[in-house]
Amino acid sequence: MAIWHNTAPAVLALKAEPIEVEDLSIQYGPVMAVRGVSFAVQPGEQLTLLGPSGCGKTTTLRALAGLERPSAGTIRIGGHVVYSSAEHIDIPAEKRGLSMVFQSYAIWPHMTVFDNVAYGLRVRKRPKAEIEARVRESLDLVQMGAYAARRASQLSGGQQQRVALARAVAFSPPVLLFDEPLSNLDAKLRADMRIELRELQHRLGVTSVYVTHDLEEALAMSDRIVVMRDGVIEQAGTPTEIYARPRNRFVADFVGSSNLVSGRLRPDLARDGLIALEMPSGEIVLGDACGRAPGAEPTFSIRTVHLQFSAARPEGTVNVWPVRVHRCVFQGDFTQIHVAWGDRDLVIRSAALEPIAEGQSAWISADPARCVLLEGA
Amino acid sequence: MSDAAIARPSLPRVSAQAIAGMLLAAIVGVLVLYPIFFLLQAALDVGDPDVRPPTAYGLGNFVAMGHYASILGNTVAVSLAATAMAVIFGFVTAWILSRTNVPYRRTLEQLMAVPYYVTPLLGAFAWSLLGAPESGFINQLWRAAGGHGALIDMVTPFGIAWVMALFEGSVAFFMIGAVMKSMDPSLEEASQMAGASRLRTMLQVTLPLVAPGVLGATIYVFAEMLGSFTAALVLGLPNRFYVVTTAIYQMISQYPPRLPLAAAMGVSLFAIMFVMMMIYRHIVTSRSFVTVTGKAFRPRRMDMGRLRWVLFGVCAFYVLLSVVLPLVTLIYASLQQIAVAFPAAANWTLANYRGALAMNAVRSALTNSLLLGLATATIGTVLVGLLCWIVYRSRLPGRGVIEYVAMFPQAVPRLVFAFGIMWAWLVIPLPIYGTIWLLLIAYLTVFLPLGMRTISGVMLQLDKTLEESAQMCGAPWIYRLVTVTMPLLRPGLLACWLLLFIASVRELGASILLMGPHSKVITPAIVESWFATSAELTAAMALIQTVVVAAAMAIFVVATRQTAEPGGD
Repeated sequence: MAIWHNTAPAVLALKAEPIEVEDLSIQYGPVMAVRGVSFAVQPGEQLTLLGPSGCGKTTTLRALAGLERPSAGTIRIGGHVVYSSAEHIDIPAEKRGLSMVFQSYAIWPHMTVFDNVAYGLRVRKRPKAEIEARVRESLDLVQMGAYAARRASQLSGGQQQRVALARAVAFSPPVLLFDEPLSNLDAKLRADMRIELRELQHRLGVTSVYVTHDLEEALAMSDRIVVMRDGVIEQAGTPTEIYARPRNRFVADFVGSSNLVSGRLRPDLARDGLIALEMPSGEIVLGDACGRAPGAEPTFSIRTVHLQFSAARPEGTVNVWPVRVHRCVFQGDFTQIHVAWGDRDLVIRSAALEPIAEGQSAWISADPARCVLLEGA
Repeated sequence: MSDAAIARPSLPRVSAQAIAGMLLAAIVGVLVLYPIFFLLQAALDVGDPDVRPPTAYGLGNFVAMGHYASILGNTVAVSLAATAMAVIFGFVTAWILSRTNVPYRRTLEQLMAVPYYVTPLLGAFAWSLLGAPESGFINQLWRAAGGHGALIDMVTPFGIAWVMALFEGSVAFFMIGAVMKSMDPSLEEASQMAGASRLRTMLQVTLPLVAPGVLGATIYVFAEMLGSFTAALVLGLPNRFYVVTTAIYQMISQYPPRLPLAAAMGVSLFAIMFVMMMIYRHIVTSRSFVTVTGKAFRPRRMDMGRLRWVLFGVCAFYVLLSVVLPLVTLIYASLQQIAVAFPAAANWTLANYRGALAMNAVRSALTNSLLLGLATATIGTVLVGLLCWIVYRSRLPGRGVIEYVAMFPQAVPRLVFAFGIMWAWLVIPLPIYGTIWLLLIAYLTVFLPLGMRTISGVMLQLDKTLEESAQMCGAPWIYRLVTVTMPLLRPGLLACWLLLFIASVRELGASILLMGPHSKVITPAIVESWFATSAELTAAMALIQTVVVAAAMAIFVVATRQTAEPGGD
């Protein structure tokens, strides 16, 4: 669905700027919401802060915006320090020149769509003709050109979302911040908007920081993802890195669904650059150490979609195990199969549609490259 | 270096917001704390009564209050009786209107607000005319029907409690009604699905859930009763029955005045009310019961069958007693030469209205009151609006303290506060004492909590991101306030203006102490007339005031509706 106009906007040329965050801590009374977070965003890059609610991702974003006052650390935007606890610098939000799309859209109901989008330009005292041109262009960009005279209160959720976006880009900010902008939309619209946003970001080439708790959104939209929990960064990397090589149990669990299997290291069985673990019930699992050193309780993460399920014994000699089907749940796009494997259950997601009887014997197999050793585990 | 990293940065940058915050803090501090200081000073003054500042301090005045224990007893007795009646009125009507299928529910609900606008002053006049032992209309009818003596006597402690209960019943209705409406009906449905009967559900689920709300309303109403003044003045003074507020008034206005003793009584009263308000706050904010989720539920209404007409009658009867009967009585009396239950044809007259309107005192007092109302409402709305923003929206340090100080007058009876103001501004070498400027200062102070409550309610409902998105668009503070916050808060600001205006024009407790011979205002003038001239003339004056206030409200509502932007919701 190509919603965006194919011509690059002439007036809305945005100047991308880098962001650097160093040792950022944010305290709410006795609670440390963010604890020493550091990351950098390259000019034009789309970075996503991903994590469960309460992990500090929104607080971090609001601190970038200047809406939340950190307790320690440094924030630089475009090379300028906008916050520094050591230097006692705290530039107020309105002077940082950033732009933000809010979860609630925050469209002003007492203004027309045009007035909403023109707001930032009027604050900057731009000439009338320029305001007119930029508002038109921004509204066209989000396919809302026909709604300029409407009252904002007469718009649907999806339309308000578009207006919020137009308002955010109208005054050509060097950085766009997104606070879960799609979470109030229904699933279908959300999937469409995800692609639209990604395209818009590429077209404008603006630096953007995006906050979400939705994994699919993060994977689909980001150049890089920062996974957060309890105010600290658990892992940072490209979507593929995060997905294929989770660093620890939390990331493996949160980013998609994984089977975590722990066992005893068997150096004698290692081969082809792989390492081997022996499960308590005797199964041998070969996997990729990813350059990580095995810890006291070595654990592989195996994604549910990376386990192959078959009724007959598959070819190959490594990572092939007989199992018994425990339970089988049809979920539409995939079937979730729970199998008894040694003394525990494994979960498999299979796109196959053929019926599987509960209690039947079967085989599962896994590509050793998809069995990833977790860090320090 | 590591110290600096840990320490919260102190920011030398001085913004418009910080300047406004400091200015408001200073204004609120002077308005509220300065009079309180003088009130405390006067209460502790045991030196020569004619010398200021005090020559000696001590607790003698508080000890001397022991001689007036009966007044304290009177106050508690009247307040308890009135609170009990008000809460019963409020609970019953709230239950009927929120939980049953009573007919004309919406109309009744709107009517339930009216008793609040029929002030204790009108109520006291009307019930005095209706229930005075000799001349009361009801007693005249009683004797005409063959009865002996007096059927009812309203010029008694019971009369005071009765009038106050009819007035506060409306307050209790709204407080308890809010709790009942915000209760999730699925809590009751869950009980029924578990097999509990309706009665069991009511006793074990509904009542425990609304109990904190009812308790909160009870304490709030009781605290208001302790500080109430008007009804006790009108119905208590003729028989020399005093409560604390009227006793304080008596001590200040008698000759020689007993100011330190009055101050000590005032301080004690406000200490008790303060504790009450703290308990109320605790109950309301602790919310150990998840009754109020902030979500609006569609409450389940019980089908009462034929009984619903009886329930309708109950609500209608309350409105009849608290609104219709008092107003009809006053209108009737104002049209009589001598108000009796069975008038001769020649007894009807418009002379009272002519007389009232011709009186210079009334005209100037009414003009003063309207001017004060306009000024208080306008200045007050700006002041309170900014205060609310600073308190509920800014990140300025000390905003919690500002809120606390601004809400402080709520715990102080207006009469007592006015005493502090009087004492405070007497020593200031500004020619303010005895002018309407002092009244303006007093009104702005005593109505701070009213304004704060009105605007904070709307402001807290306003999504914070609406303002933050303006900030992200680069708009500075004042620009944001003007373009986003104020237009969105418009209904709240207008409501605040109107409430402040009405409250000012009707103010008695502070005005009666602070008005000077050349700065009369209308409500004290009406009370003076009640004691000094005739009830008929006073009824006419009170109705003129009521009509003027209603007319001003109507003009305001029409004017603001016309300027409202079309299409906005």
